[in-house]
Amino acid sequence: MKGNGKLVLVFGIAFATGCTNLPRSRDLGNPNVAGITLAQQVCSNCHGVTGASVSPNIPNLAAQQPPYIAAQLKLFRSQGRRDPAGFEYMWGISRTLTDKQIDELATYYAAQTLPTQQPDSSVASIEAGKPIFNEGIADKQVPPCGSCHGPHGRGNGNFPRIGGQHADYIVKQLGVFQRTDQRPEGAVMKTVAHKLTPSDIAGVAAYLQAMPIE
Amino acid sequence: MCAPIPMWRFLSKAMAFVMLLSVLPQWAQALPAFARQTGQNCVACHAGGQFPELTPYGRMFKMTGYTIGRNVIPLSVMGVVSDSSVNNTSKSPDPRADFQKNNSLIFATGSVFAAGRLTDNIGMFLQWTYDNYGSQSADGKFHGHSNADNMDVRYADRFVSADHDFLYGVSVNNNPSVSDPWNTAAAWMQYVPVPSPTSSRFIDGATPYPGLAAGGNIAGITAYAFWDKLLYIEVGNYRTAKGALSPFSAGIAKDSKTKLQGNNPYGRIALCHEWGPHNAMVGATAMNAKVYDDPLDTSDARSVHRFRDVGIDAQYQYLLDPHSITLQLAYVRETHRYPYFLAGQPVQDVDGNPLPDTNAIDKTRTFRIKSSYIYDAKYGVSLAFFNLTGTTNSAAYDPTPTSGNISGSPAARGLTPEIFWMPVQYLRVGLQYTIYNKYNGAGHNYDGAGRNARDNNSLFFYLWAAY
Repeated sequence: MKGNGKLVLVFGIAFATGCTNLPRSRDLGNPNVAGITLAQQVCSNCHGVTGASVSPNIPNLAAQQPPYIAAQLKLFRSQGRRDPAGFEYMWGISRTLTDKQIDELATYYAAQTLPTQQPDSSVASIEAGKPIFNEGIADKQVPPCGSCHGPHGRGNGNFPRIGGQHADYIVKQLGVFQRTDQRPEGAVMKTVAHKLTPSDIAGVAAYLQAMPIE
Repeated sequence: MCAPIPMWRFLSKAMAFVMLLSVLPQWAQALPAFARQTGQNCVACHAGGQFPELTPYGRMFKMTGYTIGRNVIPLSVMGVVSDSSVNNTSKSPDPRADFQKNNSLIFATGSVFAAGRLTDNIGMFLQWTYDNYGSQSADGKFHGHSNADNMDVRYADRFVSADHDFLYGVSVNNNPSVSDPWNTAAAWMQYVPVPSPTSSRFIDGATPYPGLAAGGNIAGITAYAFWDKLLYIEVGNYRTAKGALSPFSAGIAKDSKTKLQGNNPYGRIALCHEWGPHNAMVGATAMNAKVYDDPLDTSDARSVHRFRDVGIDAQYQYLLDPHSITLQLAYVRETHRYPYFLAGQPVQDVDGNPLPDTNAIDKTRTFRIKSSYIYDAKYGVSLAFFNLTGTTNSAAYDPTPTSGNISGSPAARGLTPEIFWMPVQYLRVGLQYTIYNKYNGAGHNYDGAGRNARDNNSLFFYLWAAY
C-alpha cells in the first residue's frame, strides 16, 4: 500500500472506532452524555474546567448556587433570557440539554471551589462598593446586596453567588437589569438597580470581585 | 456568470438591503454550518465576529475536531461580490487586458462547504470554490471554474480534569497549516478571496503574505497536541494529492497541479497564554518542499524546486465585549533552490545587453503585521503593513508593462488600511485601500515602461455573505 492509501486506512480505522465516545463526548444532542462530561469537554472551553473562567467576559460558575444554575440553563434553553450573553453564547449550547444534564451541571459547578479573585480595580472603587453591598443606599431605596445574596455574596437558592464574580460581568448584568427587560426572571433586580449610578455599579462590582471567598 | 453592472446602481440597492438586514433582531439564527451545529453566534468562535480569526473558544472548537455541538446538516455557502479600482491605468499599452473589470462590480467567487461533526471524535471542513472568472477564452470571454479549496478532516480526543488538559488529534488535509488554529498561519492570514480579473492583481489579498511554498491542493497528514492550553505542537508530511486523496486537488488543471517529490515534512510549535480578557501566542513553523518544475513531466528526479520555509508568528487578542482588539505578526524566510536547468542560465535585457546569469538559490523574507479593532461585532477598522525583500535574480527580469520587473528583485512594501461593517453576523461589507511604496523591486519605473509602485494603489470593495 502506498502513501495516500495508508492515510485513508488510518482515517478509516479512526472513523470506525470513533463513532461514540461517551466518556469524552462533546455531543450536545446526545442525552446520554453525562453532565460532568459536558462540563469538562464543552463548558470548560469558556468557563474553565472548575468553573473559574479566565476571561471576565464569561462568568465564574464555581461554587454557584445549584438552583440558580439550573434555572438559568432552563431559561437559556427556552430563550427566556435574552441578554447578549444569553443569546450569543448560551442559547445554542443549552438548546438540547435534558433536565437531568442540567441538574448534573448545577451539582458539578456547585461542588467546585472558587479561588479568591485578584482585584483589578482601584482600592478607592472597591471601598466605595463595600457600603453598598453591606448597607445599600437608603436615599435611593437600594437595599444591601447581602440581604438577598447572603453574607460574602455566597448566594441563596435562586439568588446567585455574586461574591468573587468578575466585575465586568456584574457591571454588564446590572446594566441589563437596569435598562432592559431581557432577563424577566430578574425583574426584582430592575427595581434594585434602577437608581444605581455608573459609579455605584463600578464600585459594587469591584468590591464583589475582590471579596474573599468564604 | 454575472455581467458587470454600474457600481452606483448596485451600491444603492446593496445599501438598502443591508440597512434592512441591520434592523432585524440581533439574535437571528441565520448562521453557517458550524454556528448551526453549536447554536451559537459567530462571535463565540470568531474574534469580534470577524471571520475567520478565531477566539480561544473557536480554537478549541477547531482543535477538538469540529465536534462540539449536535449533528446538523453540515452545509454552508459563501459568496463574494467585489469591485477593484486601480489608481492609475494610463501607463499601459492595453488597459482592457491589464485591468480587466476595473471599477466594475462583479460576482467574484462563491464556495460551498461541507463542515461539521461526523462522530464524537471526527469532524470535517471541506470547501469547494467556484471562480466566476476562472478562465478566459481567446475572444476575451470569461468562463467560470470550480475546484477543491481548503480541506481538513480530523480525528481529535481530549483528556481533561481539574489537574490536566491534554488534547490530541490527527488531520488529513490539503494545505499545510490549514489545520492551524491561529490566523497568523500561512493558510489563514490572507483570507479575503482575490477575484481573478487583472484589476484585482494589486489588492491586499494579492500582496506578499508570509506563506509556505508548497501551497494548497496537495495531500498531507499531521498529528497535533495541545497541553494545558500552553503548548501546541504539530508535525506532518505532505505528498502529491493522488489516488484516494485525489479529491484534494479536484478541479485543478493537470498543468497547474502541484506535484511534490516524495515526502515533504511540516512542523509547527506555539506557546500560548490567556489572562483576563487577553490572550497571546508566539510560534514557529517550518516546511521543506520539493516541487516538480513541470507537473506534466516528473520523469527527471532532478527537475524539482527545493523550498525551505522557516517562519515565526505571534498574535495578541483583547476580547471584552463590546471591544475586540487583535495584533498579528508573521515572518517567513524562504530558501528556493532551482533545478539545474534553470540555474546559471544567461539572460539578456530588452536591448540585448547581457544580465548576470540566473541564480541557483534565491532567498526571500516576507513580513506582515496587522492590527484590527472591532466594536460590538459590527464596526471594524484594520491596518496592515507588508514588506517583502529577497535576492535579485535575472530570472525575474521581465519588461512586460504593468506586470514586469526590470530589477529582478521581488521586493514589495506597502500598507493596507481597511474599514468594514457587519450589519448582521453573516454579512460583511469592507473597503480596503492598498498603498504601495515598492513593487517588483522598485518605487519608480519598476516595469521599464514608466509605471511606479504607487500607480498600483488599489481600492477594493467587497460584500461577503455566508449562510
